[in-house]
Amino acid sequence: MDQREFQYMFYGLAAAWTILCLYTLFLTSRGRKIQAEIDHLKRMLESSPKK
Amino acid sequence: MNYLRQVAAIAGKDLRSELRTKEALNASLSFAVVILLLFSFVVDPDSEMLEQMSGGLLWMVFAFSGTLILNRGFAREIPNDCLDALIASPIPGSALFLGKAIANFALIAIIEAICFPVFGILYNLNWTQQLPVLLGVSALATWSMATLGTMFGALTVNMQLRELMLPMLIYPMLIPALMAAMQLTTLLIAGQPIDAEHAIWLRVLIAFDIIFTSLAAVLVETVLVG
Amino acid sequence: MRDKLIYGAGIFAALYFVRNLYVILLQLPDEALQGAVYRIFFFHLPPYFAAVACFFGAAIASGLYLKTKQWKYDVFAVSATEVGLALAAMNLVTGMIWGRQQWGIWWTWDARLTSALITWLIYLGYLMLREGIKDPSERAKNSAVLSIFALFAVYFTYKANVWYRTQHPGPVLTIRTGDAGTIDPAMQAMIYHNLGAFLLLTVALVAVRMNLEDSQRAVESLRRRAHAIA
Repeated sequence: MDQREFQYMFYGLAAAWTILCLYTLFLTSRGRKIQAEIDHLKRMLESSPKK
Repeated sequence: MNYLRQVAAIAGKDLRSELRTKEALNASLSFAVVILLLFSFVVDPDSEMLEQMSGGLLWMVFAFSGTLILNRGFAREIPNDCLDALIASPIPGSALFLGKAIANFALIAIIEAICFPVFGILYNLNWTQQLPVLLGVSALATWSMATLGTMFGALTVNMQLRELMLPMLIYPMLIPALMAAMQLTTLLIAGQPIDAEHAIWLRVLIAFDIIFTSLAAVLVETVLVG
Repeated sequence: MRDKLIYGAGIFAALYFVRNLYVILLQLPDEALQGAVYRIFFFHLPPYFAAVACFFGAAIASGLYLKTKQWKYDVFAVSATEVGLALAAMNLVTGMIWGRQQWGIWWTWDARLTSALITWLIYLGYLMLREGIKDPSERAKNSAVLSIFALFAVYFTYKANVWYRTQHPGPVLTIRTGDAGTIDPAMQAMIYHNLGAFLLLTVALVAVRMNLEDSQRAVESLRRRAHAIA
Protein backbone atom coordinates (compact mmCIF):
# COMPACT_ATOMS: atom_id res chain seq x y z
CA MET A 1 0.00 0.00 0.00
CA ASP A 2 2.58 2.53 1.09
CA GLN A 3 4.89 1.60 -1.73
CA ARG A 4 2.42 3.23 -4.07
CA GLU A 5 2.49 6.43 -1.96
CA PHE A 6 -1.23 6.39 -1.27
CA GLN A 7 -0.95 8.23 2.02
CA TYR A 8 0.02 11.63 0.66
CA MET A 9 -2.27 11.28 -2.34
CA PHE A 10 -5.07 10.93 0.16
CA TYR A 11 -3.86 13.96 2.14
CA GLY A 12 -3.62 16.04 -1.03
CA LEU A 13 -7.05 15.18 -2.38
CA ALA A 14 -8.58 15.57 1.06
CA ALA A 15 -6.99 18.99 1.45
CA ALA A 16 -8.27 20.12 -1.95
CA TRP A 17 -11.83 19.05 -1.21
CA THR A 18 -11.68 20.42 2.33
CA ILE A 19 -10.75 23.86 1.06
CA LEU A 20 -13.56 23.70 -1.46
CA CYS A 21 -16.10 22.60 1.17
CA LEU A 22 -14.92 25.23 3.64
CA TYR A 23 -15.29 27.95 1.05
CA THR A 24 -18.75 26.74 0.06
CA LEU A 25 -19.80 26.56 3.72
CA PHE A 26 -18.41 30.03 4.24
CA LEU A 27 -20.46 31.28 1.28
CA THR A 28 -23.69 29.66 2.42
CA SER A 29 -23.33 30.77 6.01
CA ARG A 30 -22.66 34.30 4.90
CA GLY A 31 -25.64 34.13 2.55
CA ARG A 32 -27.86 32.95 5.38
CA LYS A 33 -26.64 35.71 7.66
CA ILE A 34 -27.30 38.36 5.03
CA GLN A 35 -30.76 36.93 4.29
CA ALA A 36 -31.61 37.04 8.00
CA GLU A 37 -30.50 40.63 8.15
CA ILE A 38 -32.57 41.54 5.09
CA ASP A 39 -35.66 39.97 6.67
CA HIS A 40 -35.00 41.73 9.93
CA LEU A 41 -34.55 45.12 8.26
CA LYS A 42 -37.63 44.67 6.07
CA ARG A 43 -39.75 43.81 9.09
CA MET A 44 -38.38 46.81 10.91
CA LEU A 45 -39.16 49.10 7.98
CA GLU A 46 -42.70 47.77 7.61
CA SER A 47 -43.57 48.02 11.30
CA SER A 48 -42.20 51.50 11.75
CA PRO A 49 -44.65 54.36 11.06
CA LYS A 50 -44.05 56.17 7.78
CA LYS A 51 -42.86 59.69 8.10
CA MET B 1 5.88 74.08 -19.29
CA ASN B 2 2.82 75.00 -17.31
CA TYR B 3 2.42 71.35 -16.35
CA LEU B 4 5.98 71.16 -15.06
CA ARG B 5 5.43 74.29 -13.00
CA GLN B 6 2.35 72.70 -11.42
CA VAL B 7 4.32 69.56 -10.57
CA ALA B 8 7.09 71.69 -9.07
CA ALA B 9 4.56 73.70 -7.06
CA ILE B 10 3.07 70.57 -5.48
CA ALA B 11 6.47 69.02 -4.79
CA GLY B 12 7.79 72.28 -3.34
CA LYS B 13 4.73 72.71 -1.14
CA ASP B 14 5.04 69.18 0.26
CA LEU B 15 8.76 69.44 0.85
CA ARG B 16 8.45 72.83 2.52
CA SER B 17 5.74 71.72 4.90
CA GLU B 18 7.63 68.53 5.76
CA LEU B 19 10.98 70.26 6.24
CA ARG B 20 9.38 72.84 8.53
CA THR B 21 7.82 70.33 10.91
CA LYS B 22 10.09 67.34 10.15
CA GLU B 23 7.31 65.14 11.56
CA ALA B 24 7.74 62.17 9.26
CA LEU B 25 11.40 62.77 8.54
CA ASN B 26 12.53 62.62 12.18
CA ALA B 27 10.43 59.56 12.95
CA SER B 28 11.55 57.78 9.82
CA LEU B 29 15.20 58.60 10.32
CA SER B 30 15.37 57.46 13.92
CA PHE B 31 13.45 54.31 12.98
CA ALA B 32 15.97 53.62 10.20
CA VAL B 33 18.95 54.06 12.52
CA VAL B 34 17.39 51.81 15.15
CA ILE B 35 16.88 49.04 12.61
CA LEU B 36 20.44 49.48 11.36
CA LEU B 37 21.63 48.97 14.94
CA LEU B 38 19.43 45.93 15.41
CA PHE B 39 21.02 44.26 12.43
CA SER B 40 24.29 44.02 14.33
CA PHE B 41 22.58 41.38 16.47
CA VAL B 42 21.21 39.51 13.47
CA VAL B 43 24.55 39.08 11.70
CA ASP B 44 28.00 39.09 13.19
CA PRO B 45 29.06 42.67 12.35
CA ASP B 46 32.62 41.70 11.50
CA SER B 47 31.87 38.74 9.28
CA GLU B 48 32.07 38.36 5.54
CA MET B 49 28.40 37.51 5.57
CA LEU B 50 27.50 41.09 6.37
CA GLU B 51 28.94 42.30 3.10
CA GLN B 52 26.99 39.66 1.22
CA MET B 53 23.81 40.75 2.95
CA SER B 54 24.45 44.50 2.86
CA GLY B 55 22.07 45.24 -0.05
CA GLY B 56 19.29 43.24 1.53
CA LEU B 57 19.74 44.88 4.93
CA LEU B 58 19.84 48.40 3.56
CA TRP B 59 16.76 48.03 1.37
CA MET B 60 14.82 46.44 4.20
CA VAL B 61 15.64 49.52 6.25
CA PHE B 62 14.61 51.84 3.43
CA ALA B 63 11.41 49.93 2.76
CA PHE B 64 10.40 50.02 6.43
CA SER B 65 11.32 53.61 7.16
CA GLY B 66 10.09 54.72 3.73
CA THR B 67 6.52 53.72 4.51
CA LEU B 68 6.53 56.14 7.43
CA ILE B 69 7.17 58.91 4.92
CA LEU B 70 4.81 57.53 2.28
CA ASN B 71 2.03 57.31 4.85
CA ARG B 72 2.28 61.05 5.40
CA GLY B 73 2.16 61.88 1.68
CA PHE B 74 -1.60 62.15 1.33
CA ALA B 75 -2.51 62.00 5.01
CA ARG B 76 -0.88 65.42 5.35
CA GLU B 77 -3.76 66.86 3.30
CA ILE B 78 -6.57 65.54 5.48
CA PRO B 79 -6.69 68.19 8.21
CA ASN B 80 -8.54 71.32 7.05
CA ASP B 81 -9.83 69.40 3.98
CA CYS B 82 -6.73 70.33 2.00
CA LEU B 83 -7.17 67.31 -0.27
CA ASP B 84 -10.56 68.51 -1.48
CA ALA B 85 -9.08 71.91 -2.16
CA LEU B 86 -6.22 70.38 -4.11
CA ILE B 87 -8.58 68.25 -6.17
CA ALA B 88 -10.79 71.26 -6.86
CA SER B 89 -7.79 73.33 -7.96
CA PRO B 90 -7.08 73.54 -11.71
CA ILE B 91 -4.19 71.07 -11.45
CA PRO B 92 -4.54 67.77 -13.32
CA GLY B 93 -4.49 64.65 -11.13
CA SER B 94 -1.31 63.37 -12.74
CA ALA B 95 0.54 66.61 -11.88
CA LEU B 96 -0.64 66.29 -8.29
CA PHE B 97 0.55 62.69 -8.26
CA LEU B 98 3.93 63.45 -9.83
CA GLY B 99 4.53 66.37 -7.48
CA LYS B 100 3.77 64.26 -4.43
CA ALA B 101 5.86 61.38 -5.76
CA ILE B 102 8.81 63.71 -6.28
CA ALA B 103 8.46 65.06 -2.74
CA ASN B 104 8.31 61.52 -1.34
CA PHE B 105 11.30 60.59 -3.48
CA ALA B 106 13.32 63.48 -2.09
CA LEU B 107 12.40 62.65 1.51
CA ILE B 108 13.30 58.97 1.18
CA ALA B 109 16.51 60.01 -0.57
CA ILE B 110 17.40 62.11 2.47
CA ILE B 111 16.96 59.04 4.68
CA GLU B 112 19.15 57.01 2.34
CA ALA B 113 21.81 59.70 2.15
CA ILE B 114 22.14 59.52 5.93
CA CYS B 115 21.81 55.73 6.23
CA PHE B 116 24.51 54.80 3.71
CA PRO B 117 27.35 56.56 5.59
CA VAL B 118 26.02 55.45 8.98
CA PHE B 119 25.93 51.88 7.70
CA GLY B 120 29.45 52.19 6.32
CA ILE B 121 30.81 53.55 9.60
CA LEU B 122 29.01 51.15 11.93
CA TYR B 123 29.92 48.05 9.96
CA ASN B 124 33.32 49.11 8.61
CA LEU B 125 32.36 48.80 4.98
CA ASN B 126 33.96 50.79 2.21
CA TRP B 127 30.70 51.40 0.33
CA THR B 128 31.79 54.28 -1.93
CA GLN B 129 33.84 52.27 -4.45
CA GLN B 130 31.10 52.41 -7.09
CA LEU B 131 29.42 55.56 -5.82
CA PRO B 132 27.97 57.03 -9.06
CA VAL B 133 26.39 53.74 -10.15
CA LEU B 134 25.16 53.08 -6.62
CA LEU B 135 23.48 56.47 -6.59
CA GLY B 136 21.81 55.73 -9.91
CA VAL B 137 20.51 52.35 -8.74
CA SER B 138 19.30 53.86 -5.47
CA ALA B 139 17.52 56.61 -7.36
CA LEU B 140 15.71 54.10 -9.59
CA ALA B 141 14.64 51.91 -6.68
CA THR B 142 13.62 54.89 -4.56
CA TRP B 143 11.50 56.18 -7.42
CA SER B 144 9.69 52.83 -7.60
CA MET B 145 8.94 53.10 -3.88
CA ALA B 146 7.84 56.70 -4.28
CA THR B 147 5.46 56.04 -7.21
CA LEU B 148 3.80 52.95 -5.77
CA GLY B 149 3.74 54.50 -2.32
CA THR B 150 2.14 57.72 -3.52
CA MET B 151 -0.40 55.87 -5.65
CA PHE B 152 -1.41 53.55 -2.85
CA GLY B 153 -1.34 56.42 -0.42
CA ALA B 154 -4.05 57.96 -2.58
CA LEU B 155 -6.02 54.68 -2.53
CA THR B 156 -5.87 54.30 1.24
CA VAL B 157 -6.05 57.94 2.32
CA ASN B 158 -9.65 57.75 3.54
CA MET B 159 -9.27 54.51 5.45
CA GLN B 160 -9.06 54.21 9.20
CA LEU B 161 -6.35 51.57 9.05
CA ARG B 162 -4.35 53.46 6.45
CA GLU B 163 -1.05 53.19 8.34
CA LEU B 164 -1.38 49.41 8.29
CA MET B 165 -2.92 49.02 4.85
CA LEU B 166 -0.26 50.91 2.92
CA PRO B 167 2.65 48.58 3.78
CA MET B 168 0.34 45.56 3.45
CA LEU B 169 -0.42 46.57 -0.12
CA ILE B 170 2.89 47.94 -1.36
CA TYR B 171 5.44 45.46 0.02
CA PRO B 172 4.24 42.51 -2.07
CA MET B 173 4.00 44.71 -5.15
CA LEU B 174 7.43 46.22 -4.61
CA ILE B 175 9.14 42.84 -4.42
CA PRO B 176 10.59 42.86 -7.98
CA ALA B 177 12.05 46.35 -7.51
CA LEU B 178 13.38 45.59 -4.03
CA MET B 179 14.86 42.32 -5.26
CA ALA B 180 16.69 44.15 -8.03
CA ALA B 181 17.88 46.90 -5.69
CA MET B 182 19.15 44.37 -3.15
CA GLN B 183 21.08 42.39 -5.75
CA LEU B 184 22.68 45.44 -7.33
CA THR B 185 23.46 47.21 -4.06
CA THR B 186 25.24 44.16 -2.65
CA LEU B 187 27.28 43.95 -5.83
CA LEU B 188 28.16 47.63 -5.87
CA ILE B 189 29.05 47.83 -2.17
CA ALA B 190 31.46 44.97 -2.76
CA GLY B 191 33.10 47.23 -5.31
CA GLN B 192 32.23 45.26 -8.42
CA PRO B 193 30.79 46.85 -11.56
CA ILE B 194 27.45 45.69 -12.96
CA ASP B 195 28.36 42.80 -15.25
CA ALA B 196 26.28 41.19 -17.98
CA GLU B 197 24.79 38.71 -15.54
CA HIS B 198 23.42 41.46 -13.31
CA ALA B 199 22.43 43.87 -16.06
CA ILE B 200 19.02 42.20 -16.15
CA TRP B 201 18.29 43.64 -12.68
CA LEU B 202 18.96 47.11 -13.96
CA ARG B 203 16.45 46.46 -16.71
CA VAL B 204 13.95 45.13 -14.17
CA LEU B 205 14.26 48.36 -12.19
CA ILE B 206 13.90 50.60 -15.23
CA ALA B 207 10.96 48.64 -16.63
CA PHE B 208 9.28 48.61 -13.21
CA ASP B 209 9.63 52.37 -12.92
CA ILE B 210 8.34 53.07 -16.42
CA ILE B 211 5.37 50.70 -16.22
CA PHE B 212 4.14 51.67 -12.78
CA THR B 213 4.76 55.38 -13.17
CA SER B 214 2.72 55.51 -16.37
CA LEU B 215 0.02 53.23 -14.95
CA ALA B 216 -0.26 55.43 -11.87
CA ALA B 217 -0.25 58.67 -13.86
CA VAL B 218 -3.13 57.36 -16.00
CA LEU B 219 -5.21 55.97 -13.12
CA VAL B 220 -4.63 58.56 -10.42
CA GLU B 221 -7.19 60.96 -11.85
CA THR B 222 -9.97 58.39 -11.39
CA VAL B 223 -8.80 57.65 -7.86
CA LEU B 224 -8.78 61.25 -6.74
CA VAL B 225 -11.73 62.65 -8.63
CA GLY B 226 -13.87 59.54 -9.02
CA MET C 1 -30.90 33.87 -15.09
CA ARG C 2 -28.03 33.79 -12.62
CA ASP C 3 -29.76 31.16 -10.50
CA LYS C 4 -30.12 28.94 -13.53
CA LEU C 5 -26.42 29.42 -14.20
CA ILE C 6 -25.57 28.44 -10.62
CA TYR C 7 -27.61 25.26 -10.73
CA GLY C 8 -26.62 24.37 -14.28
CA ALA C 9 -22.89 24.93 -13.85
CA GLY C 10 -22.94 23.47 -10.35
CA ILE C 11 -24.66 20.24 -11.36
CA PHE C 12 -22.51 19.83 -14.44
CA ALA C 13 -19.36 20.49 -12.40
CA ALA C 14 -20.41 17.92 -9.79
CA LEU C 15 -21.13 15.26 -12.42
CA TYR C 16 -17.90 16.07 -14.20
CA PHE C 17 -15.96 15.76 -10.95
CA VAL C 18 -17.55 12.40 -10.17
CA ARG C 19 -16.60 11.12 -13.61
CA ASN C 20 -13.09 12.57 -13.31
CA LEU C 21 -12.52 11.16 -9.85
CA TYR C 22 -13.63 7.74 -11.08
CA VAL C 23 -11.07 7.86 -13.89
CA ILE C 24 -8.34 9.40 -11.72
CA LEU C 25 -8.66 6.93 -8.87
CA LEU C 26 -9.68 3.72 -10.59
CA GLN C 27 -8.64 3.81 -14.23
CA LEU C 28 -5.40 5.74 -14.55
CA PRO C 29 -2.29 3.75 -13.63
CA ASP C 30 0.27 4.97 -11.11
CA GLU C 31 2.96 7.27 -12.38
CA ALA C 32 6.25 5.48 -12.97
CA LEU C 33 8.43 7.53 -10.62
CA GLN C 34 5.99 8.92 -8.06
CA GLY C 35 3.47 6.17 -7.53
CA ALA C 36 -0.05 7.17 -6.63
CA VAL C 37 0.78 10.59 -5.26
CA TYR C 38 0.96 12.23 -8.69
CA ARG C 39 -2.85 12.25 -8.66
CA ILE C 40 -2.62 15.36 -6.50
CA PHE C 41 -1.52 17.13 -9.64
CA PHE C 42 -5.05 16.94 -11.05
CA PHE C 43 -6.09 19.13 -8.12
CA HIS C 44 -3.03 21.32 -8.33
CA LEU C 45 -2.68 22.71 -11.84
CA PRO C 46 -6.37 23.03 -12.85
CA PRO C 47 -7.32 25.17 -9.81
CA TYR C 48 -4.32 27.37 -10.54
CA PHE C 49 -5.45 27.95 -14.12
CA ALA C 50 -8.95 28.66 -12.89
CA ALA C 51 -7.56 31.13 -10.34
CA VAL C 52 -5.52 32.92 -12.99
CA ALA C 53 -8.64 33.12 -15.15
CA CYS C 54 -10.46 34.65 -12.17
CA PHE C 55 -7.77 37.28 -11.60
CA PHE C 56 -7.69 38.15 -15.30
CA GLY C 57 -11.46 38.44 -15.36
CA ALA C 58 -11.39 40.60 -12.25
CA ALA C 59 -8.86 43.00 -13.78
CA ILE C 60 -10.88 43.29 -17.00
CA ALA C 61 -14.08 43.86 -15.05
CA SER C 62 -12.27 46.46 -12.96
CA GLY C 63 -11.21 48.31 -16.08
CA LEU C 64 -14.78 48.18 -17.36
CA TYR C 65 -16.02 49.47 -14.01
CA LEU C 66 -13.71 52.46 -14.14
CA LYS C 67 -14.94 53.16 -17.66
CA THR C 68 -18.68 52.69 -17.19
CA LYS C 69 -19.20 52.92 -13.39
CA GLN C 70 -21.72 50.09 -13.57
CA TRP C 71 -22.11 48.12 -10.36
CA LYS C 72 -22.25 44.74 -12.04
CA TYR C 73 -18.57 44.98 -13.00
CA ASP C 74 -17.54 45.75 -9.43
CA VAL C 75 -19.69 42.87 -8.20
CA PHE C 76 -18.04 40.55 -10.69
CA ALA C 77 -14.53 41.77 -9.85
CA VAL C 78 -14.80 41.14 -6.12
CA SER C 79 -16.53 37.79 -6.62
CA ALA C 80 -13.96 36.55 -9.11
CA THR C 81 -11.08 37.68 -6.90
CA GLU C 82 -12.44 35.92 -3.85
CA VAL C 83 -13.11 32.67 -5.70
CA GLY C 84 -9.68 32.99 -7.28
CA LEU C 85 -8.13 33.23 -3.82
CA ALA C 86 -9.89 30.06 -2.71
CA LEU C 87 -8.69 28.23 -5.82
CA ALA C 88 -5.16 29.57 -5.43
CA ALA C 89 -5.19 28.39 -1.81
CA MET C 90 -6.12 24.94 -3.10
CA ASN C 91 -3.19 25.13 -5.50
CA LEU C 92 -0.76 26.17 -2.75
CA VAL C 93 -1.89 23.57 -0.22
CA THR C 94 -1.94 20.63 -2.63
CA GLY C 95 1.47 21.74 -3.88
CA MET C 96 2.85 21.78 -0.37
CA ILE C 97 1.53 18.32 0.40
CA TRP C 98 2.99 16.97 -2.81
CA GLY C 99 6.29 18.70 -2.03
CA ARG C 100 6.35 17.16 1.46
CA GLN C 101 6.05 13.71 -0.04
CA GLN C 102 8.32 14.16 -3.05
CA TRP C 103 11.01 16.54 -1.80
CA GLY C 104 10.65 15.93 1.93
CA ILE C 105 9.96 19.62 2.54
CA TRP C 106 6.73 21.58 2.75
CA TRP C 107 8.10 24.67 1.08
CA THR C 108 11.01 25.78 -1.05
CA TRP C 109 11.77 29.24 -2.38
CA ASP C 110 11.46 28.27 -6.00
CA ALA C 111 10.31 30.91 -8.49
CA ARG C 112 6.86 29.45 -8.96
CA LEU C 113 6.22 28.88 -5.29
CA THR C 114 7.42 32.32 -4.29
CA SER C 115 5.46 34.17 -6.94
CA ALA C 116 2.33 32.10 -6.27
CA LEU C 117 2.52 33.02 -2.58
CA ILE C 118 3.10 36.70 -3.36
CA THR C 119 0.18 36.68 -5.79
CA TRP C 120 -1.99 35.28 -3.05
CA LEU C 121 -0.88 38.01 -0.65
CA ILE C 122 -1.48 40.76 -3.20
CA TYR C 123 -5.07 39.65 -3.80
CA LEU C 124 -5.61 39.20 -0.08
CA GLY C 125 -4.65 42.86 0.16
CA TYR C 126 -7.38 43.58 -2.38
CA LEU C 127 -10.01 42.02 -0.14
CA MET C 128 -8.62 43.83 2.91
CA LEU C 129 -8.76 47.13 1.07
CA ARG C 130 -12.43 46.50 0.33
CA GLU C 131 -13.11 45.68 3.95
CA GLY C 132 -11.61 48.96 5.03
CA ILE C 133 -13.55 51.37 2.82
CA LYS C 134 -17.10 52.17 3.88
CA ASP C 135 -18.35 54.27 0.98
CA PRO C 136 -19.50 51.84 -1.77
CA SER C 137 -18.52 53.90 -4.79
CA GLU C 138 -15.13 54.77 -3.36
CA ARG C 139 -14.63 51.12 -2.44
CA ALA C 140 -15.45 50.02 -5.97
CA LYS C 141 -13.27 52.65 -7.59
CA ASN C 142 -10.19 52.14 -5.40
CA SER C 143 -10.31 48.38 -5.48
CA ALA C 144 -10.72 48.45 -9.26
CA VAL C 145 -7.50 50.44 -9.54
CA LEU C 146 -5.78 48.03 -7.17
CA SER C 147 -6.94 45.06 -9.23
CA ILE C 148 -5.35 46.47 -12.37
CA PHE C 149 -2.10 47.21 -10.53
CA ALA C 150 -2.16 43.73 -9.05
CA LEU C 151 -2.25 42.03 -12.43
CA PHE C 152 0.86 43.90 -13.61
CA ALA C 153 2.60 43.26 -10.29
CA VAL C 154 1.84 39.56 -10.48
CA TYR C 155 3.33 39.26 -13.94
CA PHE C 156 6.39 41.25 -12.92
CA THR C 157 6.89 39.25 -9.74
CA TYR C 158 6.79 35.99 -11.61
CA LYS C 159 9.32 37.18 -14.19
CA ALA C 160 11.67 38.59 -11.57
CA ASN C 161 11.50 35.42 -9.53
CA VAL C 162 12.36 33.25 -12.49
CA TRP C 163 15.51 35.31 -13.10
CA TYR C 164 16.33 35.39 -9.41
CA ARG C 165 15.76 31.85 -8.30
CA THR C 166 17.04 29.96 -11.31
CA GLN C 167 20.52 31.09 -10.34
CA HIS C 168 20.25 28.44 -7.65
CA PRO C 169 18.56 25.48 -9.32
CA GLY C 170 16.58 23.47 -6.83
CA PRO C 171 15.16 19.96 -6.93
CA VAL C 172 12.13 21.28 -8.80
CA LEU C 173 13.81 21.83 -12.09
CA THR C 174 15.36 18.40 -12.52
CA ILE C 175 12.04 16.74 -11.77
CA ARG C 176 10.22 19.14 -14.07
CA THR C 177 12.55 18.64 -17.00
CA GLY C 178 12.60 14.91 -16.38
CA ASP C 179 8.85 14.80 -16.77
CA ALA C 180 8.55 17.19 -19.67
CA GLY C 181 7.53 15.55 -22.91
CA THR C 182 7.14 12.18 -21.28
CA ILE C 183 3.67 12.78 -19.94
CA ASP C 184 1.19 10.03 -20.70
CA PRO C 185 -1.57 11.19 -23.11
CA ALA C 186 -4.29 9.78 -20.85
CA MET C 187 -2.92 11.71 -17.90
CA GLN C 188 -2.63 14.88 -19.93
CA ALA C 189 -6.22 14.50 -21.14
CA MET C 190 -7.25 14.08 -17.52
CA ILE C 191 -5.65 17.42 -16.65
CA TYR C 192 -7.79 19.11 -19.27
CA HIS C 193 -10.90 17.27 -18.12
CA ASN C 194 -10.36 18.38 -14.57
CA LEU C 195 -9.60 21.90 -15.77
CA GLY C 196 -13.01 21.88 -17.46
CA ALA C 197 -14.64 20.70 -14.25
CA PHE C 198 -12.87 23.39 -12.25
CA LEU C 199 -13.87 26.10 -14.69
CA LEU C 200 -17.53 25.04 -14.41
CA LEU C 201 -17.19 25.05 -10.65
CA THR C 202 -15.61 28.50 -10.82
CA VAL C 203 -18.54 29.83 -12.85
CA ALA C 204 -20.96 28.47 -10.27
CA LEU C 205 -19.00 29.82 -7.30
CA VAL C 206 -18.53 33.25 -8.83
CA ALA C 207 -22.26 33.41 -9.57
CA VAL C 208 -23.08 32.43 -5.97
CA ARG C 209 -20.67 35.03 -4.67
CA MET C 210 -22.22 37.66 -6.97
CA ASN C 211 -25.65 36.89 -5.53
CA LEU C 212 -24.17 37.37 -2.11
CA GLU C 213 -22.66 40.71 -3.06
CA ASP C 214 -26.02 41.85 -4.45
CA SER C 215 -27.73 40.89 -1.19
CA GLN C 216 -25.03 42.70 0.72
CA ARG C 217 -25.79 45.82 -1.32
CA ALA C 218 -29.49 45.36 -0.58
CA VAL C 219 -28.72 45.17 3.13
CA GLU C 220 -26.71 48.35 2.95
CA SER C 221 -29.47 50.27 1.21
CA LEU C 222 -32.11 48.89 3.59
CA ARG C 223 -29.96 49.95 6.51
CA ARG C 224 -29.69 53.42 5.11
CA ARG C 225 -33.48 53.60 4.81
CA ALA C 226 -33.87 52.32 8.36
CA HIS C 227 -31.53 55.02 9.57
CA ALA C 228 -33.46 57.65 7.67
CA ILE C 229 -36.70 56.60 9.38
CA ALA C 230 -35.37 56.07 12.86
